[in-house]
Amino acid sequence: MGIATTIRRATAFACLASSMAMISHADAAEKHKIFLSMSFIGNDWQAEAANMVKAMAAHKNYADKIDLQVQVAGPNAQRQIQQINAMVQAGAEAIVIFPISPTALNQVVKNACDKGVKVFAYDGEITEPCAYNIAIDQEEAGRVTAEWLVKKLNGKGNIIAITGVPGTSVDNLRTKAAKEVFAKHPDIKIVGEAVGMWSQAVARTELSKILATRNWDDINGLWMQVGCFTANSMQLEAGKKPEQLLPCAGEGSNGGRIQMLPAGTEAEGATSPYAPLGAPRISYASPPYSGALALKLAVDAIEGKDVAKKTVLPLPLVTNETIKLCQEGTWQEMKDGCNAFKPSIVSNPGWFASIFSDKTPEIGLNAALVGQPEN
Amino acid sequence: MTMMTSSATSRHWTSLFSMSPERRSVLIAIGVFLGLLAVVDFISSGPLSYFDISFLSSGGATSAIAAIGQTIVILSGGFDLSAGAVISLVNVVLAQGMDPAAAQTSVLYWTCVGIGVGMLTGAFNGVFIAFFRLQPIVVTLSTMFIIQGLTLLVMDKPGGFVAPDLGTFYLGDAIPGWLPMPLVVIGVVLLAWLWLKNTRFGTAIYAVGSDPDAAAAIGVRVKITKFLVYVIAGGCYGLAGVFISAQTGSADPLVGNPLLLSMFAAVVVGGTRLGGGRGGPLGTVFGAYILMMVVNILLVLNVSAYYSTIAEGTILILAVLAGSISYSSTFARQLRGAQAQFSAWRQGLLPSQLDRTDRRMKMPSLAAGKPAVAASFLSRNSETIRYALPAYLCLIAVIVVTQFWLGRAILNPTYWNSLAVLSTFLAILALGQGTVILTGGLDLSVPWTIGISGILLAGIVNGSDAALIYALPAVLLIACVIGLINGIGIVVLGISPIVMTLAMNGILQGFALVYSQGTPAGFASPMLRWFMTGKLWTVTPVVPFMVLFVVAAVLLLGRTAFGRRVYGIGNGLRAAQLSGIAVGRTLILVYVLSGLCAGLVGVLLTGFSGQASLGMGDDYLLPSIAVVVVGGALITGGRGHYLGMLGGVLLLTALQMFLAGTTLPYATRAILFGLVVLGAVMALREKRA
Repeated sequence: MGIATTIRRATAFACLASSMAMISHADAAEKHKIFLSMSFIGNDWQAEAANMVKAMAAHKNYADKIDLQVQVAGPNAQRQIQQINAMVQAGAEAIVIFPISPTALNQVVKNACDKGVKVFAYDGEITEPCAYNIAIDQEEAGRVTAEWLVKKLNGKGNIIAITGVPGTSVDNLRTKAAKEVFAKHPDIKIVGEAVGMWSQAVARTELSKILATRNWDDINGLWMQVGCFTANSMQLEAGKKPEQLLPCAGEGSNGGRIQMLPAGTEAEGATSPYAPLGAPRISYASPPYSGALALKLAVDAIEGKDVAKKTVLPLPLVTNETIKLCQEGTWQEMKDGCNAFKPSIVSNPGWFASIFSDKTPEIGLNAALVGQPEN
Repeated sequence: MTMMTSSATSRHWTSLFSMSPERRSVLIAIGVFLGLLAVVDFISSGPLSYFDISFLSSGGATSAIAAIGQTIVILSGGFDLSAGAVISLVNVVLAQGMDPAAAQTSVLYWTCVGIGVGMLTGAFNGVFIAFFRLQPIVVTLSTMFIIQGLTLLVMDKPGGFVAPDLGTFYLGDAIPGWLPMPLVVIGVVLLAWLWLKNTRFGTAIYAVGSDPDAAAAIGVRVKITKFLVYVIAGGCYGLAGVFISAQTGSADPLVGNPLLLSMFAAVVVGGTRLGGGRGGPLGTVFGAYILMMVVNILLVLNVSAYYSTIAEGTILILAVLAGSISYSSTFARQLRGAQAQFSAWRQGLLPSQLDRTDRRMKMPSLAAGKPAVAASFLSRNSETIRYALPAYLCLIAVIVVTQFWLGRAILNPTYWNSLAVLSTFLAILALGQGTVILTGGLDLSVPWTIGISGILLAGIVNGSDAALIYALPAVLLIACVIGLINGIGIVVLGISPIVMTLAMNGILQGFALVYSQGTPAGFASPMLRWFMTGKLWTVTPVVPFMVLFVVAAVLLLGRTAFGRRVYGIGNGLRAAQLSGIAVGRTLILVYVLSGLCAGLVGVLLTGFSGQASLGMGDDYLLPSIAVVVVGGALITGGRGHYLGMLGGVLLLTALQMFLAGTTLPYATRAILFGLVVLGAVMALREKRA
């Protein structure tokens, strides 16, 4: 290929790119080229995780080091395969992936590894041995929350289980572990079970269906992967008092966390049901900072530092005993133990509140909300 | 349906465009493909190498092979929603069946297993569609649920092992450095089709797709042709399943599902007409690769994630428009029509400009003497009742089963209230989607019209009742505009409804993401929440609204000129045009109505959940089509009654409520759901083909 062609291509590319206004050309050559391949961006968790990754890349420790490009694969594993291949072609040094499937990407990931690209999976898992995995222990999540519920009910009662997306390993591991716990207590009966798709809206529809033939009074507790906030709202609508709310083991959404605060707590912007109710809860989450941490570890790996293939994140667990409202939401404040955010700052109750890690001092609340790093 | 006008009215025009529309659209698909390939070559860092070609060819192969099967079904006038599910099923069957310890795996054996599984599912579809004469869309929808359930029974989470031999074979090189294997596989399938096309059976497929009655009259065996079409298509999905297994080296029970919608896009971009009789798999293959290449281009250009669905939707529309550029294209005819109308107006020749004397022929009034005897209610409505009744009978059965299994149904007011509230969303969508289907179209933009309406409403209202007063009309107006754009694209530009609304769905998704920056803010106001979840005496306030809505819907479709026009268009576009119906205006109004209904559902869902979320409408697309068909409407248009559709809504909702109350595993529920829907439509089958 002649020099003229190269220049022509380069100019054309530059024009196209600058018209899209999305790429920073400045000394891109010296920066590490890192790609982020996300799944479907259409849910809060993904958007938050993406914000945190971007914030990490923008932090002063990394801004000069990395050139980050983000791609979304939708729910389609085929497309993610194709994207990863294209990223390898485009000269990626590392690829950070939210894997749509733990298995479907194995071949393409292996191919990338063989070309010297570091592949980091966050939240989900890639079973190909050359990939780095950063996630919580999903079985632990299912087990610990189920044990909490059993203890809260003194080993006896009728419960409703709302699961995640059927056919995914995350849902499978959590649900199986929880059911093993319930099976050990013969007096715990699962009287209703529905697929919640990890969505508050679906949780409401499914709970409404279950409650068409049952009554809140026949139920003693709830085990939900996502939906405790909604379940509490529905009990209030059905005329329950805050102190009558059923124990609920579930997700780490900010709405749910605010409801856990003792009733009467001053929380700016709170309106029922997004308000302190003293709801009996255990709140766990797959933390959305995992992508940012993956990016950080990817830079370490590129720079030749030793990075473990499997990073098991500590399971973020919050109960009524440990719940604490943040004032600003800086990393330092969260380090001191706060774990819920004012409704005036986080207006969406479905927003995931488990954003703290002692390993990521670069990012705090602003990172998760708008993609801005800490100073 | 609007696409067919180009063939019906094509004149003898001595130019490049004189070739058959079919061949032209294939050539244009190839042209677009080459153009995109040039763009990829131009903007990527190096020249296209063999490796690039090989990697591109394997990337699009799964969807290309599956889309070939879909094309054959569509050529015969059918529709297959089970394609994605079959791919997943074959994937898990292969991974479960293979022995990881075996040193050697027979590629031929497992390919045959995959194709065989696919053909079996195809045969299941074929039996119901060909021999029981059920509508393809609802049979394959039921099959889709049943197969998804079976897949989860075989393997409930990703994992398993597919022998690397399979990958080496399917992803390797046929001629190293020159010809990648995926292209050979696609080539073999296409050659097989070419052979098939020239047999009597091949002609029969096109004949059945063009006009089943005419085909039957000249002695084509319609039933066996239809049956075989689904078996062959199943085989293609099976092969696609084998390919994806080879590509991924393992199994995932969800891997095939997202391929479904893009498969239809590939078929249409490739120049095959939905509705049957025109097109072919060659164009489809290029269509599939065009869609895939778009992804690569977006990647190279580094288009922001939020805009990628907008870009894809726009490209889809442009590709289809490029494919229909000709003198006889709808848009060209619209322009000529407008020109003619304008010159007529200048000369004062428009009917509205002529003097208004009554020129009708004078007839002696016959009915003057004796009053006409009105036919009895039953005989006037027997057809409607016959098609609407099965849904209601099944509904009663489901409610009785609920009563016996779970107790607390028939005498429990909460049960009826929940049934009414949960049915609201689908009942409203059934009016919009149902009216579109009555005209022979389909609205796939429902999910994100719901999504964007909900997100906009929550964002504007933000918990204030006062803001609801202006937010509600504003949001509904936006929903109408979305429908209007759909309608204009379909009527004026002549884009097929499926493509237009599919593209619109992607574009709306992009807008929703840009507007909400990934996390929708705001929440419903107290009044809206009370409307959906509060209590007015013992019923939720939305229930009386629902009753009014149903009455209005029945009147709209049954008692207004608009309703009669809709049925007229559905029964025959040409006939409607010739009898003086303003087809274009009516069709546009139909899509506006569908947009309005989806927008209303978005608002109500936001009230129901208290907040809006991205993807809140995703679960409503296929059910909105299913309820219309279960309620007795014909997917090709012209037949159906809103009360029947309402029966379908109540049946599906009651069934879901029953299943949610049990503790059956999800896989079993999916299978049961599919079987009940299939059972409900068994009663709908045509008496004679």
